[in-house]
Amino acid sequence: MDITEYIQLVFTDYTLRTITLGTAILGAVTGMLGSFAVLRKQSLLGDAISHAALPGIAIAFLITGAKDSNTLLIGALISGLIGTFWIRGIVSKTHLKSDTALGLILSLFFGFGMLLLTFIQKQPNANQAGLDKYLFGQAATLVESDVWTMAIVTGICLIVMLTFWKEFKILLFDKDYTKTLGFNTKIIDILITVFIVLAIVLGLQTVGVVLMSAMLLAPAAAARQWTNSLSVMVFLAAIFGASSGILGTAISASQNNLSTGPVIVLVAAVFVAFSFIFSPSRGLLFRQIRFIKNRRDLELHKTLTFMHHIAETHEDISHPHAIKLLNNFQGYTKNTLQKLVDKNYVQLNGNMWSLTKTGFETAANLYTKQSTKDE
Amino acid sequence: MSSAQLEIQLIACIVAVACAIPGTFLVLRKMAMISDAISHSILPGIVVGFFITQDLNSPLLILLAALTGIITVVLVEYIQKTGLVKEDTAIGLVFPALFSIGVILIAKNANDVHLDVDAVLLGELAFAPFDRLFINGTDVGPKSLWVVGTILLITITLLILFFKELKISTFDKGLAASLGLSPAIIHYGLMSVASVTTVGAFDAVGAILVVALMIAPAAAAYLLTTDLKKMLALAISFGIFSAILGYWVAHWLDASIAGSITTVLGFVFLMVYLFAPLKGIIAVMYREKQQRTEVSLLTFLLHLKNHDEVEERHVNHLNEHINWQKVRAKTVLDLALKNNMILIENNVVSLTKKGNDFTSKAIDYIITNEDAQIEDMKDDFFLFRG
Repeated sequence: MDITEYIQLVFTDYTLRTITLGTAILGAVTGMLGSFAVLRKQSLLGDAISHAALPGIAIAFLITGAKDSNTLLIGALISGLIGTFWIRGIVSKTHLKSDTALGLILSLFFGFGMLLLTFIQKQPNANQAGLDKYLFGQAATLVESDVWTMAIVTGICLIVMLTFWKEFKILLFDKDYTKTLGFNTKIIDILITVFIVLAIVLGLQTVGVVLMSAMLLAPAAAARQWTNSLSVMVFLAAIFGASSGILGTAISASQNNLSTGPVIVLVAAVFVAFSFIFSPSRGLLFRQIRFIKNRRDLELHKTLTFMHHIAETHEDISHPHAIKLLNNFQGYTKNTLQKLVDKNYVQLNGNMWSLTKTGFETAANLYTKQSTKDE
Repeated sequence: MSSAQLEIQLIACIVAVACAIPGTFLVLRKMAMISDAISHSILPGIVVGFFITQDLNSPLLILLAALTGIITVVLVEYIQKTGLVKEDTAIGLVFPALFSIGVILIAKNANDVHLDVDAVLLGELAFAPFDRLFINGTDVGPKSLWVVGTILLITITLLILFFKELKISTFDKGLAASLGLSPAIIHYGLMSVASVTTVGAFDAVGAILVVALMIAPAAAAYLLTTDLKKMLALAISFGIFSAILGYWVAHWLDASIAGSITTVLGFVFLMVYLFAPLKGIIAVMYREKQQRTEVSLLTFLLHLKNHDEVEERHVNHLNEHINWQKVRAKTVLDLALKNNMILIENNVVSLTKKGNDFTSKAIDYIITNEDAQIEDMKDDFFLFRG
């Protein structure tokens, strides 16, 4: 199936269109809110919350006896929030650290949810099948109304985020300052947390509890590498999230036996790996290149100083010396020597080199200069 | 109780103990979430191992999967070292990616693999007694019993052999390094034990329960004691208690054993979290209230010491002057009276000698910036605490 054909199919096929739209919106909203989670150093909160949502789904089902996805999501939202606030309680009131609190809530809530799910499965209610789709998510079960819910929640998120942008931003980077300015940090804090929980809960049906944390983190972590500005980061994260959703859906649709959730997560992981390596300012590749370049420069300096030491012993600073003399000094290569020639510090004459006047002066002042021009 | 039931409980108990030991150290080293990451990311290792061995209990599979666990740790540390993201983000990025690879591997080979993700994540203890190990045709018990038993033995041996090293490197990395113990070796050793335990136990109890069994007993024990040996012992007992009680709850509800053990663990932790004598939430809240009253008391006494005038020391005046609500004023006044620090005559409050001594000493501490000393002083002066 080629690409144009696929794109055509996206527009004509109901299921594919719904899933593509759903995953794209989901990716965008989780990317946006994930940026806040990552910057607040609450990356793993997403993992904990998504697991903690499971008992809520089960209890909502036990109470209503219906599999309406909205009621189940409300249950998930409530139990996710309980989990979040319990984590905070543990961290603030006891000496247990946040990692322990997260792991505790995650595993305990999830275990309790499993107990309830297996308990439900034994009940004589024919309606119960399919609850376990929330474990790993099944994008194929998305229907148009789910996409509408997502779109509405995303819209609310956007409005709230734009309205409170200043507050969110300032709380993110300087909590104490926010307090002294008279903002109610508690309310802003709760607002952000509620929206993060909401985004996680929305994604449960599509990618499931296990992989939801990656949806929250990966786009944001990738976006972080390209910019230092919050607004750009949020925007980029939304784009990365949406693209992983669309691409992931496309890849899983074109193959048999590929569930959408894991593919989306892997696509997002590829985005992250790409950003880690190729981001111009922070990326590993350019960092390594800069590293090598700096080392070359240092070696060039070393060679120049060495030449200077030799030249000093002669009355005529431009007295030629054999290149061989430099051999017992490791710092030079043909390239660096050529560079020195290009800068007019050194003159090469067959196998001999000699310092020029500028070269001699530069070398003499090399380590005393306050600011070095790039050389 | 049938022999199958006995065997299930035995396996659950052994897993609980095997998890509690590395779990205690993970909690103390603030690496609890690593256990969650390992428990998820071993999935591709298990799948690949299963392709090779075709046996979920084969030692090779356990080693392969444990290796994936260690790769996770190394990857997390590598990403963290690049400084591009924080540690927790690194964890959150690595394990879902590895887990996804595992899920996709299973899905792509669904026809040849008798392995599904639910089983890996949740386990099914109830089936464990039916997969038996035969040596020369004689039945020597369930396979998973042997697997987790061996792992427990190894863990205990390592714990006894390296207890001192573990203890030092957990609490003071610098000291451990300067004593010539390599913190890195201990770190990776602990990670390996955690990985092997997770892999060995997942088949019986599932990956999530492994996390619960590692963290919850240790966290509960940490709220009760600060002594490492006692903490280990408590964590182990919590684990065993939850394993047995959890089994019977599951039996009664006819639900997942792993889920029910976790729920019991959650209940145990909740109880400890609420009622632990020193670190429990109720004790903490009570102490906070006590502190608040005692600070008010000190303010009140300082006020009395500063004012000799009768009108400043009149009961009614105090109420409005220090601007306390009635109830709080009454609590503070009663406390001061009970401790013989003040006298009330004709509704005029005055300091007793003891109250005077206490206040002078407190002022000394406050102006020399040694406020912490006041806490100790309270023990000498107070007959009743706030």
